[in-house]
Amino acid sequence: MKKMLTLVLALILALTVVGACAEKQVLTVVTWDATTTPYLVAQEAAFEAKYPDVDLQYIDVASQDYAIKVGTMLSGGDTSDVVMIKEARDIINWQAAGYAAPMTDFIAADGFDVSGYVGTEVNYAVDGVQYALPFRSDFWVLFYNKDLFDAAGVAYPTNDMTWDQYAELAKTMTKDGVYGTHYHTWLSAVANWAVCDGVNTLADREYSDLAYFYNLYQGLEDAGACMAYNELKASGLHYSAAFANGNVAMMPMGYWYVSTLIGYNKEGTCNFNWGITAVPHADGVAAGSSFGNLTGAMINEKSANKELAWKYVSWLCGEEGAAATAATGTRPAWVSENVASTMSAVEGFPTDDASKAALIPSYVGMEWPVVDKLSEIQTVVNEEHSLIMTREIDVEDGIEEMNERVAELFE
Amino acid sequence: MAQTAAKKAGRPMSRLERKNTLIAYSFLAPNFLGFAIFTLIPVVFSVLLSFVKWNGGPISQMEWVGLDNYASIFKIEKVIEKFSEGEFFYFFERVDLGIALKNTIFYTLVTVPLTLICAIALAMALNKAVKGAVAFRTIFFFPYVASMVAICVCWNFMLMKDGPVNQFIQLLGIPFNKSWTADSTMAIWAIVLVSVWRNMGYYMVIYLAALQGVPRELYEAATVDGANKWQQFTNITIPQLQPTTFFASIMMIISCFKIFDVVAIMTEGGPGRATKMLVYYIYDVAFAQNKYGTASAISMVLLVIVLVITIIQFRSEKKFAND
Amino acid sequence: MSEAVASKQTGRQIKKDNPALQLAGKIALYIVLTGVALFTLIPFVWMISSSLKLDREVFAYPMKWIPETFRWENYMLIWQKVPLLTYFKNTAFIAIVVTFLQTLTSSFAAYAFAKLNFKGRDVLFLAYIATIAVPWQAYMLPQFIMMRSMGLYDTLWAMVVLQAFSAFGVFLMRQFYQGVPTELCEAARIDGLSEYGIWARIMLPLSKAAIATLVIFTFVGTWNDYMGPMIYLTRDVNKTIQVGLRRFIQENSSDYHLIMAASLCSLLPVSVVFLCLQKYFIEGIATSGLKG
Repeated sequence: MKKMLTLVLALILALTVVGACAEKQVLTVVTWDATTTPYLVAQEAAFEAKYPDVDLQYIDVASQDYAIKVGTMLSGGDTSDVVMIKEARDIINWQAAGYAAPMTDFIAADGFDVSGYVGTEVNYAVDGVQYALPFRSDFWVLFYNKDLFDAAGVAYPTNDMTWDQYAELAKTMTKDGVYGTHYHTWLSAVANWAVCDGVNTLADREYSDLAYFYNLYQGLEDAGACMAYNELKASGLHYSAAFANGNVAMMPMGYWYVSTLIGYNKEGTCNFNWGITAVPHADGVAAGSSFGNLTGAMINEKSANKELAWKYVSWLCGEEGAAATAATGTRPAWVSENVASTMSAVEGFPTDDASKAALIPSYVGMEWPVVDKLSEIQTVVNEEHSLIMTREIDVEDGIEEMNERVAELFE
Repeated sequence: MAQTAAKKAGRPMSRLERKNTLIAYSFLAPNFLGFAIFTLIPVVFSVLLSFVKWNGGPISQMEWVGLDNYASIFKIEKVIEKFSEGEFFYFFERVDLGIALKNTIFYTLVTVPLTLICAIALAMALNKAVKGAVAFRTIFFFPYVASMVAICVCWNFMLMKDGPVNQFIQLLGIPFNKSWTADSTMAIWAIVLVSVWRNMGYYMVIYLAALQGVPRELYEAATVDGANKWQQFTNITIPQLQPTTFFASIMMIISCFKIFDVVAIMTEGGPGRATKMLVYYIYDVAFAQNKYGTASAISMVLLVIVLVITIIQFRSEKKFAND
Repeated sequence: MSEAVASKQTGRQIKKDNPALQLAGKIALYIVLTGVALFTLIPFVWMISSSLKLDREVFAYPMKWIPETFRWENYMLIWQKVPLLTYFKNTAFIAIVVTFLQTLTSSFAAYAFAKLNFKGRDVLFLAYIATIAVPWQAYMLPQFIMMRSMGLYDTLWAMVVLQAFSAFGVFLMRQFYQGVPTELCEAARIDGLSEYGIWARIMLPLSKAAIATLVIFTFVGTWNDYMGPMIYLTRDVNKTIQVGLRRFIQENSSDYHLIMAASLCSLLPVSVVFLCLQKYFIEGIATSGLKG
């Protein structure tokens, strides 16, 4: 069936190439991992199917050095039409340097409906002017290895668990070479949970709200319920391999890992059953609260064809693009009733109801808010994070340092 | 240009001098043209950049700010304020630039002599036609050839808590049981270790090449005079290698001051700021914060330090050559 | 020639003087060399072992030196997953052209710095060294804007012109030329040789070891450069090996086993260059040229 479809698609493509070779408009889009990211492949196919007269060309940049390479390209006057936004600070930097074309007029002229973003699009706006739109919105969920829970005869984690209950569960699951849980080395995996309450952010210059999560983590590390940070950092173990190894019972991770796991199951890299639930919540915070980050697209100020660029961006970030994105197991930024069912219908997605329910979070805070001096704050907080995690300093002292050094940035 | 300089000095250039200068310029021209266009001009531009505020946008957005960039990296006011309060080392303990300077200078002071000694020793040992010299030479040069990303991942593994290096150390009776890169004091030593490991073969090659130029007659004469091996080494080899040592030490000091990739892959400047080095700091300021003027200002600090060291060495080389 | 023979004989005589000590020294030397060689090679052993594992096995903790199953197919996969052959060709092109230009122009310029007197020599030389001291990150952006306006962006020639005229080569060759006795040049001038003649007939033949060094360093440096090609080369047909290697590290997954395999493959050509040239580092190949 699939082969037929590709064949037909290829045929249509070939015919249009022959028929409309001269009139085809080229649209260049700067992105990362273009050939291996399923949603980019799907988006390209769907977009070109709808607009056969447009030839969508990705400019593939290494994901690790995306900001520096693309920043340099833009500074040199690159004329690519659309540039994808990987991190919050990209749009801050590029808007300030004048690389991003304002979209507000396009949005108004088209009557483009932004309600599907449930408010997240303001993260791409500066002084009320929209400079980019999100097309992908990842939030964090809890992955768990069903086979390990079955073998231990312990009930699966649920969508309504407090962090303390989760810690107990992790300790219960820890035995015979099995780790109860796994924390990747990032700040976001360990302490970012403080922003789930909708009040705190990581840029509010007050970090005492992180203490609970650092203490929780250190308790688990001391109990041997998770791999030690120092070892993880030194070995560079990637979280995808850590969970796929099959000796980790739970792992909080971004939703994007779903498509990785589905891929692993298909190619046989791992073959256990897994599920997802909402991440645990703190006392007094609603169940299903999480945090996440956006991936978006901006129109290059230097683009020679901004109308065409807008046509693509509004398609990509709108409902149709969302459908194409969701079909690959990636969560689009545009949330509609169909999106959740499309996502859970993806082949390889866990079939239990709890996993499906986890697709609809009750609240999603931003991993990093868009604020002045964001990059400097990130550097400080991450530096102190590494000191706390290596236990070079106490949790309290580390948080004191965060408060002090971030305050210094604004003196 | 040289002509006008000569006229200003009040001494007209002789025809021969002029001809010689022209010949010299003809030797320089092919390299200098390429060098000037593709390196010198951008470098001079970056000196100017250190006095402007620029986020990489259109050149018209640049804003002349005088010494503001320097004031902000040195945190002048705060440092003076703390100094008057009795915190004399505030700059090296709390300010990013001070910490980066301290780390970089420490790293350089340790790495340069260590690498030089290893390189000379290996070159001396392998200069002779010992059996297996080809194999040894190749093996020692190998680390320099390997790609950095793979190598740093390897070394992180070697230096883990229960990794081979720690096992070896424990065999020697030193009870160290922590991942090097996760320890504030050991992390910088991890970078030193990898640097020496990687570069000793490189400088060994330079010394091997230099040893070929030492006239054999000098050793023969010394042998006749009854000098032993060590005397030959200190009285002939070391002085004869002087131009090479000058080159090697300057190159090594510069490359140590510019250490970046090992830090970026192995420690990311951490834990905390324990291995934050100058260029890693520059990288962060330029490409994460988009403050190219400030990044240039930090580079100028680095440039001044290296230039001072180079000029001192340059002088001593000349003095040495004249003696 | 006769002197060389004579020196060999004296050498033998000295050895005969104290055979026991000589032997002990030799054994000690070999023990030390072998120790250092082991220290040097251990990370490579791990690289080879990792290149034969699955990605998740690479980071398995505690580490395993011998893979459970040897996955030789990793060495096939790297050529299929990315166009590694194209990357090799591009890198080879850049490395060869750069090495050629670099060696030629810097040995030329170095002669002027080392053996000719002209106004502004020291200042110019300091300018060369100063540019080495400025980190590339500081002037990368102005350089990029300039290169782009010249139409060199995303062409292999961008990498050629960026690396072919580096100050490093001039500095290296100058230092070697300084070691060549000035009397030799003076004598040649009296014999009526032009400066170009001196460079071609005296300096070049005398500096074989130095040229071999420069060739190795330039070749290796260009071969392993990452930041330059990363910034300047964008299309897949233009990428180099080091940039291509990073394609195995993606946003949400990494294939370190393939990185290890590919970097081991990329090691081979550079090692061949080194092996071919290392014969110039054996004592006695270069004659000092200093008589009496």
